[in-house]
Amino acid sequence: MGKKKLVALFLVVAMAVSCFAGCGKKSDTMVIEVYDVAANYQGTQTGWFAKVVKDRFNIELNIIAPQVAGDSIYQTRASSGNLGDIILLDGTDFADCVKAGLVKDISAEIKETTYLKDYMDQINTYNKGLPDNADGKTYGIPAQMTNTSPSSYSQDVIYSSPLLRWDLYTGIGSPEIKDLDGLLDALEAMMKKYPTNADGDAAYPLSLWADWDGGDGMLGIANVVQLTTWYGEKIKGSAILKRDNTFTEITDKNATYYKILKFLNDAYQRGLVDPDSGTQDWNAACAKMSAGQVYLMWYSWQVGFWNTQDRLKDGTAFIFTPVKDQVYYADSDTYYGSGRIFGVGSQVEGEKYDKIMEFLDWYASPEGLVFQHDGIEGFNYTVDANGKYTIMNDNALMDNLPVPEEYGGAGYSDGNNAINQWIVDAISTNPNSGEPYSTQYWSSYKAATMTQMKKDWAAKFGADEPVEYMKKNNVLLVSPNVSVTLPSDTNDISVIRNQCNETLCDASWQMIFAKDDVEFDKLWDEMCKTMDGLGFQDLYKFDVEKHQIEVDAKIAASK
Amino acid sequence: MKVFKDKKKMRSYKEFLYILPFLILVAIFSYYPLYGWIYAFFDYRPPFPLSMDSFVGLKWFKAMVENEVKLKQTLNVLRNTFAMSGLSLLFSWFPMIFAVFLNEIKCKPFKKFVQTVTTLPNFISWVLVYSIAYCIFNTTGVVNEVLLNLGVLESPQAFLQSGEHIWFKMWLWLTWKNAGWSAIMYIAAITGIDEQMIEAARVDGASRMQIIRHITIPSILPTYFVLVMLSLANFLSNGMEQYFVFQNSFNKESIQVLDLYVYNIGMGSGGYSLATAISILKSVVSVSILFVTNKISKMIRGEGFI
Repeated sequence: MGKKKLVALFLVVAMAVSCFAGCGKKSDTMVIEVYDVAANYQGTQTGWFAKVVKDRFNIELNIIAPQVAGDSIYQTRASSGNLGDIILLDGTDFADCVKAGLVKDISAEIKETTYLKDYMDQINTYNKGLPDNADGKTYGIPAQMTNTSPSSYSQDVIYSSPLLRWDLYTGIGSPEIKDLDGLLDALEAMMKKYPTNADGDAAYPLSLWADWDGGDGMLGIANVVQLTTWYGEKIKGSAILKRDNTFTEITDKNATYYKILKFLNDAYQRGLVDPDSGTQDWNAACAKMSAGQVYLMWYSWQVGFWNTQDRLKDGTAFIFTPVKDQVYYADSDTYYGSGRIFGVGSQVEGEKYDKIMEFLDWYASPEGLVFQHDGIEGFNYTVDANGKYTIMNDNALMDNLPVPEEYGGAGYSDGNNAINQWIVDAISTNPNSGEPYSTQYWSSYKAATMTQMKKDWAAKFGADEPVEYMKKNNVLLVSPNVSVTLPSDTNDISVIRNQCNETLCDASWQMIFAKDDVEFDKLWDEMCKTMDGLGFQDLYKFDVEKHQIEVDAKIAASK
Repeated sequence: MKVFKDKKKMRSYKEFLYILPFLILVAIFSYYPLYGWIYAFFDYRPPFPLSMDSFVGLKWFKAMVENEVKLKQTLNVLRNTFAMSGLSLLFSWFPMIFAVFLNEIKCKPFKKFVQTVTTLPNFISWVLVYSIAYCIFNTTGVVNEVLLNLGVLESPQAFLQSGEHIWFKMWLWLTWKNAGWSAIMYIAAITGIDEQMIEAARVDGASRMQIIRHITIPSILPTYFVLVMLSLANFLSNGMEQYFVFQNSFNKESIQVLDLYVYNIGMGSGGYSLATAISILKSVVSVSILFVTNKISKMIRGEGFI
């Protein structure tokens, strides 16, 4: 045998051996496929959460994420008849999948569970609302249910409100802000006094981004639709739900979409809008937020990219600043769930089925929830003798801190729960501590963050927390949580929706960057004409009928 | 058996077996997918399987032109497609000339350097090209800094945000990315030219430019024609990646080409049926363009290319 042949033979043997070794390794760890619309990560769950799951159930989670793989994966997998072993879908799609026979009837098994049983009120309400399910079989488990009540509001801050940097606001003399014009005056004063961040990079009060447009079932620019809630109106598809529970078109000049768009255009005309707004994506905008180049934020979670315990201490953090003429819309605690639904694939049988039900039950248990919402004991928090929790390593997620080998190793953020959706919301009370799961509501955290800035804020506005201020001044509209299944789009409607959305978004961006009011109104009128040609009226009619179901339920719930 | 006795026949059977694997591949990968065209005639919506209840005939074809606004949109998309493909066709001689001049460089290391540098962008994906473009052209990017410091601009300009001259700008990006790569084919053709011819011309006193004009270019023209005709067949499919990454609300009206349009309405929100109808139309038009050019080629050159 020549040398070459010998080497080749050796390689072949090595390959064969490693092949068999690979096969042998599989042992009996069961792989569970999770079709998950909430996931931002696709592939096998790794790191500490993988270890937690494997130690308890000897299963591995394989996440299939349409957010990563693209929406077409829904179509491919649905047509093969197997979406996944565990399925997490938006309510409307879930109802379609039940109808198409892709979801398993779990009526019998759910009664055997320990923890899920506590939520049977919500689960039954949801399943009875499914179309063609008069006999009340159980198919889905709503995500993010709470153990509070359908009309209570437990958060300290609402999802969207004007948030300003406290140091800059006090720096310009803490003026009282009457309306949106007043807000622009304040922002302009800030920009004049503080034209750059600490590093000397140009700062703009507003930095917008375009890649979230048309999301969350709302037509239009994501940055605009969120702000309509500042005036008590909420966008539902192509319609705007007004304060009096009636609908108007999103293209109504007297409604808030126009108002907010004009606000952004006014800001642009005054030079307050980052000129890259129309072309940058969220990552670019987010980098500016983290660098302190942005002076107005509006999502409650957005402050997470700036506020730290240190900045809260030295008073440079973002905080809600009231605008006098505003009335805020907020969705109440998600008692009946946030709208997404967990289910089990109809093809799942036998041992795998038992494992999945066992896993889902644990997923809703206090132990499982503490892992999902708080992390690992001894790494993310400690428990004192009285059972009260105290946070540690609070930058674990932000800085992807390395996790000790005993808990599974790797980075904390990398190993975090990739399902990214929970059956029970973080605002729910943990029976073991008597406090919510959410770290920010622990008494230990509140004591630690009662800084001078927070005290000054409380003294100025006469309330401890933003929501308390809103409730005191009667400017908070809480929309009760209801459980309804809304009809899905027909083919025609989905095409119209998509085309109208594109037209609306494109025109809206051009309007934000309009030179003057004349150009602004010209673009608006052109847009309305184009949208009507694309079938906007049919879409509006469809959306009003669709969301009327929800509104009726909300009216009934608030009586 | 008779088959095996007939030697000639048997040989042809054997030869058929040689190409059979390729036929099977073509059938699987080129013809089987055409089955998907069926979606254009149904109201298809996942997760529900197709059924005769949702058969709608030509509805989605009609939907493209059913009123003024929709017709305008369809025509607009076609205009962009034709304009941008036309522009690349108009400048299709560019890589050829580039190759000719590259070949004239006498300093070997410099020649290699230029060739490598111009070929490299071909291997950069469009997503990365856009990030590079964004870094250079955003309001705090290099271009704005330089122009501001020179006093040419008074305030930073958002270059990527304007829809002006977008066809030409897209052609520039495409050329930057592709010129070096497309030149490779011509460089190969130039190497194939008989040295004796060039030497004879030189002996006869031909200048450098004369050699290029009378020997190099005529020798590589056939290659050029074949490439042009192949690109004609792809006239309507000018790809979508480039336009997808560069599109924004301000330039969409002039940048949205057919492929991008199909993506925007099909993948964006599950308008699968309409998207399929549009792409069928695209295939039909592409095939007709191919046949027409073949006819013209036959008329002009006396021979077709299919």
